[in-house]
Amino acid sequence: MFKRLLRASIERSARCFKYVSLYAVLSALCVATLPAPAAPVEPELLHTGIVPTMGLGDVSEGTLLFKTNQRGRFTPAPVLKTDVQMAVTGIIARTTVRQEFSNPSHKKGDWLEGIYVFPLPETAAVDHLRMHVGERIIEGVIKERSEAKKTYEQAKQEGKRTSLVEQERPNIFTTSVANIGPGERITVEIEYQETIRSDSDRFQLRFPMAVGQRYIPGTPVIIENQAPKGTGTILDTDRVPDASRITPPVQAPSRGPINPLSLSLTLHPGFPVSKVESPYHPIIVVPDADGGFQISLKADAVPGDRDFQLIWYPAPRTEPLATIFTEQKNGETYALLMLAPPTHHDDKVASIPRDLTFIIDTSGSMAGPSIEQAKSSLAAALTRLTTRDRFNIIQFNNTVRSLFPSLEPVTASSIRKAIRYTETLSADGGTEIVSAVRQALKSPQDKARLQQIVLLTDGQVGNEEELFEMLHLRLGTRRLFTIGIGPTPNSHLMRKTAEIGRGTFTYIGNVTEVKDNLDLLFRKLERPVLNDIAFDSSWPAVEQYPLQIADLYEGEPIVVAVKAGALPQQATLKGFAANQPWSMPVSFKHASSRGGLSVYWAREKISALMDETYKGSVEEAIRKAVLDVALAHHLVSKYTSLVAVDVTPARPTNTATEPEQPASAKMDESISINELAKGATSGQLQLLMGLATLTLAWLVWGFWKRVA
Amino acid sequence: MIPIRPTSRTLLILPVCLIAVGLWQIGEGSWIYAKARLAQYLLQRAWSRALAGETAVKPWPWADTFPVAKLIVPSMHIDLIVLNGAYGRTLAFGPGYSEPSAFPGSPGTTILTGHRDTHFRFLRRLRQQDEIVIETVHQRPQRYIVQRSQIVDARTASIRLTEGKDQLTLVTCYPFDTVFTGSPLRYVVTAIRVPSSPLRSIDRASP
Repeated sequence: MFKRLLRASIERSARCFKYVSLYAVLSALCVATLPAPAAPVEPELLHTGIVPTMGLGDVSEGTLLFKTNQRGRFTPAPVLKTDVQMAVTGIIARTTVRQEFSNPSHKKGDWLEGIYVFPLPETAAVDHLRMHVGERIIEGVIKERSEAKKTYEQAKQEGKRTSLVEQERPNIFTTSVANIGPGERITVEIEYQETIRSDSDRFQLRFPMAVGQRYIPGTPVIIENQAPKGTGTILDTDRVPDASRITPPVQAPSRGPINPLSLSLTLHPGFPVSKVESPYHPIIVVPDADGGFQISLKADAVPGDRDFQLIWYPAPRTEPLATIFTEQKNGETYALLMLAPPTHHDDKVASIPRDLTFIIDTSGSMAGPSIEQAKSSLAAALTRLTTRDRFNIIQFNNTVRSLFPSLEPVTASSIRKAIRYTETLSADGGTEIVSAVRQALKSPQDKARLQQIVLLTDGQVGNEEELFEMLHLRLGTRRLFTIGIGPTPNSHLMRKTAEIGRGTFTYIGNVTEVKDNLDLLFRKLERPVLNDIAFDSSWPAVEQYPLQIADLYEGEPIVVAVKAGALPQQATLKGFAANQPWSMPVSFKHASSRGGLSVYWAREKISALMDETYKGSVEEAIRKAVLDVALAHHLVSKYTSLVAVDVTPARPTNTATEPEQPASAKMDESISINELAKGATSGQLQLLMGLATLTLAWLVWGFWKRVA
Repeated sequence: MIPIRPTSRTLLILPVCLIAVGLWQIGEGSWIYAKARLAQYLLQRAWSRALAGETAVKPWPWADTFPVAKLIVPSMHIDLIVLNGAYGRTLAFGPGYSEPSAFPGSPGTTILTGHRDTHFRFLRRLRQQDEIVIETVHQRPQRYIVQRSQIVDARTASIRLTEGKDQLTLVTCYPFDTVFTGSPLRYVVTAIRVPSSPLRSIDRASP
């Protein structure tokens, strides 16, 4: 009996197995007959030359490239020698990079044109270009961009040595050098100024060292428009180079890629320093009389595989520290005021009860990873509240909803409620950001508390003007901080919103960054050192950037650049520290004089002017204003370029020029296709899955009928 | 020991569950296509309101976007409303205009994105010299002529925005005939603006 039953069940399961396998075969067939996702097709143009070439986007260091016959591809010339001099004043660094390049070709009549690409920090201002030809030095002249280009092209045609510096993006500059003779060496000298990065309690400066070592792609794979007319969209794949797989090209093997680099630096931090260090390169530090340092590399030949990095730490102090530098230039006085927060906090003073309002964007555009990031950011913020604080959460899509009717004291139960509320948030619908911010600004103002609004959004909204206007009108004593979420947040909107809201903008690109970035932000939020900072009214008419001085937070110095006909002997800086009036006399009498302040001021003014775009100013007016500043201060900008022309023709003009170069490969603003949304729905897959499941159901049904 | 005999009831539950799951999947799948169709009807209405002078017309009250242009391919009787913003949410309803690029119909490069299995299915049939018309609220319709179609790898390719040419770039997923999403390849059609011409062709497109 038992045996029979066993056999029956075995038989049954065998039959069952038959059906299952039938289904498996069926579904496999289904999938197989569908066109499989095609393997990546060969790009239309697979370029494998002997000399590796590269696109402009491959460049991670300053590098001289020679144009090839192929549009948009360049072959790098070997760097012979690089000499770097840097001077740090407060938070400004001026860098002079001299690089000697050669045309590796020895063929007669092989004159070349090169493009020199230089990635710089976003705050960098290029203001000098010098071309050394033999004993002569040709200084670059600042001109309106189109005019500079014309000058360059003309000199090129006439066979003169010429070079041109253009700003392609705020952080990428290119120099074109025309008419480099065979075997000839040309020295290009660029001078730029940048602002030092500072975080929590240290200041750091970097210089990209690995010129000519790291940047060559293994097998360049390019998809590019090769239409000889040069019309239409260019889709070029600018590969991110992978240093480990790369061998540098050797254009003239006899010389080899020798690449010595010398670097020297003077450091005047403007405050007492406890330590100076370079994590990757041994350095020699020599203190000088006025509290500064002379720094040079210990070894002549430094490893070219790491960026040079210099870090210095301010000495501990409990008072904010103001440092002033001045510069006289063309009858004007420029001053740079740096206010550094104390490094050690007095805990008694620090904690002021806070009112925190979190505004979280739950509109449709936040769907997916963005809302998850926002939720974890919010959860992280909630854990940092103390029982003296009050808080509220407002979410908005096409409606605005808030967790509590008004600010709620922090208790165990309110936090629990908030965490539960956060977990249930999901993204859908429209983006009524203005109503949400208006709601947050309705809370009564209270001078005794820090009133902070934290806005988490991807900023995909259209009515930014309305938002800015409302903030201007109703902000009062509150501060608004923005946290940018998602892969492509509208960072202009958020930076601007934070600026008007007198807070800061923090960008979070992916979930793993949430914790570190927010910890930093929330620590700052807990401890403002000074707020409502301004110069006293007796200060004479000056032009000051930024127009509104930001609040001073822990670990973040403020820098103000001013221009005036004449500076007073003394001015007073006023503000509030933990609700108590605070003031500090600022003496210009003994301020030390430094170069480069006018450039910093001009760069700040230009970026303030470029911001006008978002206030709805006409571009033509902005262009005019930027031109005025940039031309006066010799600055390369979106609208101005530097051009240098050697007056004596170098290339005999009767010889044929190098093979006709296609129109200059301008590196334009471009959009990576990957940033665009995916172009397919899961509809087909779901329909197919549905059908397959129904078929399976039908089969099982048949089986059941047989058994029953 | 008594073997556990599958009762008729337990065996019945399985096909019923499977039917439910199957219907649910088919429902979800069909809803995607229904939504794509239906939304375009609502959008056409919103578009007429936009033409009548309203700004940023929301096609339905909770919409996250608004119509910015009309994309017409006269030879294929394609007439689509283009939405502002090209993220997953908007693309379900219509082709989306990618914001950093030039506004449809204005000078520069305009990038429009769409789903290969709904609105932008017609891209595969577009050939060189085909005419595309972009209608916007404030301008007369602009004509574009297709220059070429390319297949590119989205991880590496990019589209230049300032080419000195006024052009229209239509982007969708590739390959067209696969049920799987997430392919890194994209199908890119580039069209160049030509001087506006015979109103005839436009009349034909929007009767």
